[in-house]
Amino acid sequence: MYKLIIICILIFTVTSCVVVKEYEKVQLNDPDMELALKKCDRFETNFQAYRESASGANGGKTGGGCGCN
Amino acid sequence: MKKLVLIFLLISIVVTAQETSQETSPIYKKRVLESTEVDFLTSYYSQDGDNAAVTGGLGTEELTDFTPTIVVSVPLNDDDVLIIDAGISAYTSASSSNVDPFDTDGSASPFVASSGASRQDVLTTVVGTYSHSSDNRNNIWSANASLANEYDYFSVGFGGSYARLFNEKNTEFNVKANVFLDTWNAIYPSELRDNPSFEEFNDESRNSYSLGLGFSQILTKKIQASLSLDLIQQEGLLSTPFQRVQFSDVADVVVREFTLGDDVERLPDSRFKIAAGGRLHYYINEFFVVRTFYRYYTDDWGIDSHTASIELPIKITDKITLYPSYRFYLQTEADYFAPFNQHLSTQDFYTSDYDLSDFTANQYGFGIGYTDIFAKNHVWKFGLKSVDLRFRHYERNSGLKANIFSGGFNFIMD
Repeated sequence: MYKLIIICILIFTVTSCVVVKEYEKVQLNDPDMELALKKCDRFETNFQAYRESASGANGGKTGGGCGCN
Repeated sequence: MKKLVLIFLLISIVVTAQETSQETSPIYKKRVLESTEVDFLTSYYSQDGDNAAVTGGLGTEELTDFTPTIVVSVPLNDDDVLIIDAGISAYTSASSSNVDPFDTDGSASPFVASSGASRQDVLTTVVGTYSHSSDNRNNIWSANASLANEYDYFSVGFGGSYARLFNEKNTEFNVKANVFLDTWNAIYPSELRDNPSFEEFNDESRNSYSLGLGFSQILTKKIQASLSLDLIQQEGLLSTPFQRVQFSDVADVVVREFTLGDDVERLPDSRFKIAAGGRLHYYINEFFVVRTFYRYYTDDWGIDSHTASIELPIKITDKITLYPSYRFYLQTEADYFAPFNQHLSTQDFYTSDYDLSDFTANQYGFGIGYTDIFAKNHVWKFGLKSVDLRFRHYERNSGLKANIFSGGFNFIMD
């Protein structure tokens, strides 16, 4: 798994040599291309963090509540 | 793990050096947030199943939760933004009601909700976040503080983050850290409270420390991706004090239809979690976007999990977008899990909480979004910029089923 992550980082680093200019980012600036969840998706992330053991690496809750119901 | 952290640090040092020349040139400064924004968010969640942890892994899991929330984002000046996020979570829980299962009318069953006070509660949360951006918008600092309170639980948290953009904002590296200092007001199953052999928990604190590293990269004019790594350490009372366990080597005591607990769950007082995730978003054309996500998770309680999801936004007009989605999840069970009445009293740690069991889950979703960047429709001084509505159906192979409706209304002040 760690090797896979390192390979991904290396791929991203290498490709970072390709620079997309601000005026070329029209499609990347589409709201649906944002690399984050929408605000209303927080509730979905919360219930998943309660019902499943895994959390984190997705902007979800990593502490600060019992999640015991 | 050390290698991974070192790689992140090396990348940040190299690209910071590359960016030094760009820092010196004068840059047009646009406000980080043009005007005050208000988000009204809400959700309604319901679930049902037959493996309630409160009754030892066998019993109704029926639960509903309603969560009205408001988020106000205020630009303090060109560079600084203050965000206040406040909400409540009002829930009713059939399993929690069975902390004391014996109603005044004499009935008691793990599959029937009790009328006791523990059947409902309200969680109140407030989070404040202050962020500052540098003049060239390539450095962003933020600090946050949070409070959360419900009848048997109180949490205070604080944290901060730093994001660095470079390579003409094609690349971002960020780091965040949070601390949550929580306190239980432990409530125990009714039959154990006066049991002289029952040992209550001495330490009712639960502290969580998290460190997150993030890296995102524009790959082409249509593709961007990100990687995240979260390290989380939890210490203190990690058991839930009202979740029962019945031992197979202790004779069952059944009152009416209810099997009394022999003890409450006992879990280690520390847990270390690692979550590594990645996103890849692809703009296919003016009608379709693909959003994919994968996460691997592991912890020192023996749980490994994989999460994969895909969402396909479909733009049917310039203002309306549809959001079909699918998510798959699987996890292995914790070392301390066993189903109802299968633990031994000689074990050090035990739980029958099916959230820590071995299972797979499928989630199917659909949503619709409305966006008007000019916010022409008004309510008082606020223009409606966007509306998002979502529905998700969640099914575990253990039998738990859940549905969640959520919505968000984004307004901009004139």
